[in-house]
Amino acid sequence: MWMSVEVNGHIYEREVAEHWTLLRFLREDLELTGTKDGCSAGECGACTVMLNGEAVNSCMVLAAEVDGATIETIESEAVNGELSEIQAAFARNYAVQCGYCTAGMVMSVRELLRLNPKPTVAEIKEGIEGNLCRCTGYQQIIEAVLDVSGQITDETRGGLKYV
Amino acid sequence: MNDIFKYRAPTSRAELFGLLASHGEGAKILAGGTDLLVDIRNGLAHPELVINLKKVEEFSGLTWSQSEGLIIGPLTTVNDVLHDARVRESYRLLADCALTIASHQLRNRATVIGNIVHASPGADMAPGLLCLGAQVRIASQRGQREVPLKDFFTGVKRTVLGHDEIVEAITVPPGTARSRGSYRKLKRIDGHDLALVSVAVTNTDGAVRVGIGSAAPTPLLVEGLTDEDPADAVVAAARGAARPIDDLRCSKEYREYMIEVFVRRSFEEVR
Repeated sequence: MWMSVEVNGHIYEREVAEHWTLLRFLREDLELTGTKDGCSAGECGACTVMLNGEAVNSCMVLAAEVDGATIETIESEAVNGELSEIQAAFARNYAVQCGYCTAGMVMSVRELLRLNPKPTVAEIKEGIEGNLCRCTGYQQIIEAVLDVSGQITDETRGGLKYV
Repeated sequence: MNDIFKYRAPTSRAELFGLLASHGEGAKILAGGTDLLVDIRNGLAHPELVINLKKVEEFSGLTWSQSEGLIIGPLTTVNDVLHDARVRESYRLLADCALTIASHQLRNRATVIGNIVHASPGADMAPGLLCLGAQVRIASQRGQREVPLKDFFTGVKRTVLGHDEIVEAITVPPGTARSRGSYRKLKRIDGHDLALVSVAVTNTDGAVRVGIGSAAPTPLLVEGLTDEDPADAVVAAARGAARPIDDLRCSKEYREYMIEVFVRRSFEEVR
């Protein structure tokens, strides 16, 4: 079907196959490959994007459903090559190893901070429970979120046990 | 997702009911999509036509009326219920159930009615809604009918819903507002997981009801108990209703044991 969608501030008008997911549309049609395909079943969160301002698993949305909607992907985080605050906090806290979960993780953290600018460790865990990471053990990711929400100091960084 | 299907997004009830009546079994309804798209991908559903409900203009979200109580609409998401001030004040149990469903991203899409219509034995919204006396309003081209939720489920992923029908609302009567309620869900991990067993217990002016998930082909409701009953009697009634099975998540015996533990703890909490 023919549809129009705003992705990262650009309007795209496209013919889209009705059985395609939003994830496939983003990656294969728009070539926005920052969004990753992990499980394709809503378990891992690697494909998390913002749909009309709310985090969703893009593998669990049909492309046809987003006709007229606004999407933001990980490509909207860095502006002019400058990392966003969340991305910079991830880098500063070694919250990235293989990087496969990172795009989805950053989007979930954006959602978490939108709803709760100073989350506790328990709230951070709840906020990222839909995003699996097989490298970091989550500790560094939790520290990155504490950091970007102004809740960590040089003295406490790396010295706390959260998991 | 390899299957090819057609897609329609009707904008009115009449158009929706017409599509359902003319396509029969070949049509599948997409609300949140979090069960349907997984089923399609896993080859468990092979729709010719997927009908998106989200553009139907007559459908409302979460509302409240004096006579009917809480009215959950076809597009009400799990997060809508979780964050609604009225739910948190009067039907706290439903928010407790909602919070245990999947992850935040999925709750932004998944609908409460979808959770019920999918009719998984472990549907997280079912034990709470059963205890609170929820009613299911079913609609089609042929008209409307209302079924108590306890009579809605007929088997594993089976309900009384016809192929041309949709659930237009789930209502929670005002009589059970402010019931004392307690929900417990046993999972293998702290995060995003399906229930090994789940138990809701409510106390509405002395009348105690127990809802149990993942313990039989359908979610169960045990009624006719009071807050003056000994805990052992309440546990025995729940235990008598449950007929759990062994599966990849845990054994039948473990489920039976944990149902007893959860019913006892939740009963003590609400009595």
